[in-house]
Amino acid sequence: MSDEKKPKKGGFLQVVKDIVYGMSSHEMTRHAVRSRASMEHLFILITMGDLLGVPILPPYYSLRLLPYVTPQISAWKRRMLRERDITDTLG
Amino acid sequence: MNALIAVIIGAVTVYLAYAHYARRIDRNVIQSDPKRATPATLYMDGVDFMPTNRNILFGYHFKSIAAAGPIVGAIVAATLWGWLPALVWLVLGVSFMGWASDYSAIVLSVRNEGNSLSAVAHRLVSPRTRTVLFLFIFFYLLLIAGAFVGIMAQVMDGQPKTPLGIILLVAMGLLLGQMLYRWKMGLLGATVITVGITFLGILLGPLPAIEGTFKGFNESLNTMTGGAPIVTYFDPTLAGFKGAEAKIMPSLLFWAIAICLFCYAGSVLPIWRMAQPVVYVGFWITAMAMVLGLLGAAVGTFVKPEVAQFQIPAFKGWNPQLGPAGIMPLWPMLFVTIACGAISGWHALFGSVGTARQIENEADMLPVGAGSMFTEFLLGLLALLAVSVGAKGAPVGAFANGLGGFISVWGVPVQYAVSLAFAAFIVIVLVVTQLIFRVMRVTLTEWLGEVIPPCRNQHVASFISVALAILLVLTGTWIYLWQLFGAANQLMAALSLLLVTVWLASVGKDWLYAGLPMIFMYLTTVASILVTAYNLYFNVYQPNLVAGRVIPVVGSGLMVLVAILLVVAALFVAVDGWRAFVRYLRRPAPAPGPAPARG
Repeated sequence: MSDEKKPKKGGFLQVVKDIVYGMSSHEMTRHAVRSRASMEHLFILITMGDLLGVPILPPYYSLRLLPYVTPQISAWKRRMLRERDITDTLG
Repeated sequence: MNALIAVIIGAVTVYLAYAHYARRIDRNVIQSDPKRATPATLYMDGVDFMPTNRNILFGYHFKSIAAAGPIVGAIVAATLWGWLPALVWLVLGVSFMGWASDYSAIVLSVRNEGNSLSAVAHRLVSPRTRTVLFLFIFFYLLLIAGAFVGIMAQVMDGQPKTPLGIILLVAMGLLLGQMLYRWKMGLLGATVITVGITFLGILLGPLPAIEGTFKGFNESLNTMTGGAPIVTYFDPTLAGFKGAEAKIMPSLLFWAIAICLFCYAGSVLPIWRMAQPVVYVGFWITAMAMVLGLLGAAVGTFVKPEVAQFQIPAFKGWNPQLGPAGIMPLWPMLFVTIACGAISGWHALFGSVGTARQIENEADMLPVGAGSMFTEFLLGLLALLAVSVGAKGAPVGAFANGLGGFISVWGVPVQYAVSLAFAAFIVIVLVVTQLIFRVMRVTLTEWLGEVIPPCRNQHVASFISVALAILLVLTGTWIYLWQLFGAANQLMAALSLLLVTVWLASVGKDWLYAGLPMIFMYLTTVASILVTAYNLYFNVYQPNLVAGRVIPVVGSGLMVLVAILLVVAALFVAVDGWRAFVRYLRRPAPAPGPAPARG
């Protein structure tokens, strides 16, 4: 892409800051994001489960929610249907 | 020999191996392509798959792989064989095997849609391999848990200057979770308060009043049995590894149970409440100790030469005796005693599920995977230096004395510096142990939940994990646990290299850089498991059976059983891996289509 912005390269201090963030806080951030995603995915499953073949009769309110949920549907389906195993809990 | 020369050797090793070997493999064999889309960009879901800056990812990966392994392994190896074999293995291991294992596991996952090692094994080798891998991982975690709980309990019991700092660490972790997630405080302020108080607690630990209180507490616990031990066993690590009768006193059992309770809470409580905040506070404590120690080791030769001179022998022998009937041949035992600083299966396991899914650009795989491994090698080197210059005390004590000596270069009184070193050691081990119990709980739930419904309950699954670890600790012989863990860890690395070799063969690439280390590690680790089982049987099982001591017999019997299962699992995977390898050599899988473009 021609208009793609090149990532801004920071100086030495920025590198150190990134590394320290990665060591200290990145994991916490990931866990927070995961917790939020789990709740959101559960909500979508309850309301839109029929998209995955879960036998839920879509209520009227699901239809009203649809425009808000649509942007997340592809990521949600991928996440719900992705094969997992116990080693996933390590990451 | 002094610390400065060793630091220079380490720096030269990193430069040569990274710049002249790892980069070449990355360029010529893997052919990493910055224009090829990675799973993080292809499947970005903002959660598991998330493109992340390479510097952040380097920090994340390094912190996740750097646990107690490089520290305890180097300490034990230097004590058993001398500092020279330990240094040689660290240098050669990381240069030809360690980085290759870590980096290749990430490559394998990135080039296979971000799948875990077990999922790749299922596709490339056989479904049975995946099942065996799961079984293997569970025993591996059990061994780590047992070894780490045992080591921590011994330090907490034997070093009354340490508990205050650790208790405060846990309390501050809980407080930090409350501050961040309930009171919505800023991270900086909460960090300053919690890390500051923990640091203060660590520094107050050596004060006579505090140290005396914990000493008195331990003694009062021991009077509960009238000074009699709960378990008596033969410990081959005592009396300079000649072995002597050792006793598990009530105070040791108390600290082991306290640690397990902490891990239990970390396993069942929401992760933001305890596990994550404790890890966060602990990070700053260990970072302070390690940075001050490493810099102190470098400048100590000029500023305070007495703390930087090696004091233990360079070489102690090819086969030091371990107790009356045990053997400890340099090959294979050295190569499993030092695991993480040279090569480790944990890194591969973690890299494939945690890091690979965040790789933004294929060009980042080398600096993140191999770069982290080389940095961990430096951590192992620091542990080796610390134990080599601080010859006083048991292995962990020698490490703390040595690291404390390095830190004291900066003007910190030695007793406080040693207290900080002990605390840093415990923190590193504690952080990993609580994660392991959480994973064991999930594993047990997944495995046994269908067959034994109560195991679906998180408390039941956590309790089973903790009880098994305590049983292993009560055998008292942590050295065997450590070596069995080291062997399992290295075998995991060999299995990961096996998968990489099969994959390289399947896509028609040169597999030698992964295949040769795999063969060496496979033979070495299987041999070491057999040696450990032999030592366990003749040093622990048989004498205690004759003496009629139940707990050491049950514990060592369990360990021998685990050892046999590990060997059987390794053989199954080797047979399946060989068949798949030959199959792909004869008929390579069709090369993958053109890489999807980025953007």
